[in-house]
Amino acid sequence: MNAQLDNPPETAILEIAPETVKLAIKDLNFFYSGKQALFDINVSFAANGVTALIGPSGCGKSTLLRVLNRMYGLYPGQKATGQVLLDGEDVLSPRVNVAALRARIGMVFQKPTPFPMSIYDNVAYGVRLYETLSKADMAIRVEDSLRRAALWDEVKDKLQQSGLGLSGGQQQRLCVARGIAVKPEVLLLDEPASALDPISTARLEETIAELKADYTIVIVTHNMGQAARLSDHTGFMYLGKLIEFGETEQLFTNPVTSRARDYITGRFG
Amino acid sequence: MSMANAAPRLSRRLGEGVFLAACWVATGIALVALTTILWSLLTKGVGGLDLNVFTKSTPAPGSEGGLLNAILGSLMMCTLAMIGASLVGFLAGTWLSEFARDSHYGKVVRFLNDVLLSAPSILVGLFVYEILVAPLKGFSGFAGAVALGLIAAPVITRTTEDVLRLQPTALREASVALGAPVWHTIFAVIWKSARSGMLTGALLAFARISGETAPLLFTALNNQFLSLNMTKPMANLPVVIANFALTAYDDWRRLAWTAALLITATVLVVTMLARTFLRGSARS
Repeated sequence: MNAQLDNPPETAILEIAPETVKLAIKDLNFFYSGKQALFDINVSFAANGVTALIGPSGCGKSTLLRVLNRMYGLYPGQKATGQVLLDGEDVLSPRVNVAALRARIGMVFQKPTPFPMSIYDNVAYGVRLYETLSKADMAIRVEDSLRRAALWDEVKDKLQQSGLGLSGGQQQRLCVARGIAVKPEVLLLDEPASALDPISTARLEETIAELKADYTIVIVTHNMGQAARLSDHTGFMYLGKLIEFGETEQLFTNPVTSRARDYITGRFG
Repeated sequence: MSMANAAPRLSRRLGEGVFLAACWVATGIALVALTTILWSLLTKGVGGLDLNVFTKSTPAPGSEGGLLNAILGSLMMCTLAMIGASLVGFLAGTWLSEFARDSHYGKVVRFLNDVLLSAPSILVGLFVYEILVAPLKGFSGFAGAVALGLIAAPVITRTTEDVLRLQPTALREASVALGAPVWHTIFAVIWKSARSGMLTGALLAFARISGETAPLLFTALNNQFLSLNMTKPMANLPVVIANFALTAYDDWRRLAWTAALLITATVLVVTMLARTFLRGSARS
């Protein structure tokens, strides 16, 4: 470990090929009630791939995720400067229709949050906001979403029962199904497996692995094994800064910065 | 330090015993008071309960009569009051919880609502007398409904705000993250999730106003005859109780007891119906 580079760089951000970029973050700073939480983030996420964000608690991973769909806008006193370009269009621009934007960028949260309604209505909820489907088309969309979230077989006979009656792992896959039913382009996952048991986690990971063919996925996780298994690219954050970003394999086997190296080898965090 | 076998110290066991006994005694006192009230209500009220109660209006002393005018008057005024108060209370509570949680204006409104919540009901009656009865030169069922509504609205506002605040932030964010506008999130998800609490608040308000007498004395007054005209004085159960209970006529006093029994029974039945309905819908 001492035989590393004499003078490792403070930060190392890989630039991905411009034609593969789906989300580009430029000079992003984030503040809440006057306190700065993110500092000069510059990075791009690739289309149809999984990007993992790792780092110790409080490093700003979730905050960064919540900037991408402007979730922070729900709370007064939170402010972002810089640019987040989704296919070249600035998400942070005040002219953007935030609700429509969030339909393009889906999000799944730490804890499962099924709505107090039937399984079917949970999945159809978001679709009904933006599309008027016939009953048959809606049934197809619901089934398709539940299949892709690997939940269909378990719930196909009880679609009219409450989503609150499912197990934690099933609820979380219901939330994934609900998220993809609106056909977003980007899927943000904020520690989606942190409240799940190992078996449910494994099923959710399979789901994510299958979804990446069609979606740009950004996942925040505390589980480094999960990041290594699932992602193509990984970003390591520390104290509100993006320290290192690169190909997952490279970052986990041979990190360039000393902070990422210390974190990955378990010296802190 | 053997924690496993150590019996709790005597003082601690004594303390627990005393506390438990105090809890039992307190519960007992409350239960005794409640059963005594219900018992006297039942024994004295059931006697006067016959078909006449529901088919005839309040009688002159010594003649046959019932409570029809008062029952209908109370029903109409309470219904109108609850419609208005629910509308105001649900929306005001929603505003306080979802849009003005930390704002200064919200704090002022919340404080004033709490003041209104504990305002003596006779003041509410006088207030409505001043703004509706005196200028229009007449007591009316409508004024009575407004007075009852003014008492019910703060109750509904407060309980609505409280139960909405209990809904997890994650639920709001999950809906918003799907592209739902905030107002849609509130109506389709948050209200749905909080509906049993909101309904309980409305029921509390209904239970409260169904027995209110003071605000009606200055507004609806009373009416000896059957009248469904809300612009005229209107009979109602609480004022009938107040008027009849203090007289020397046995039949009037019996009717007063019956009226009291009716109010209590209505509150009980409505509460039970709502609970059953909610339990059924929660399972869906």
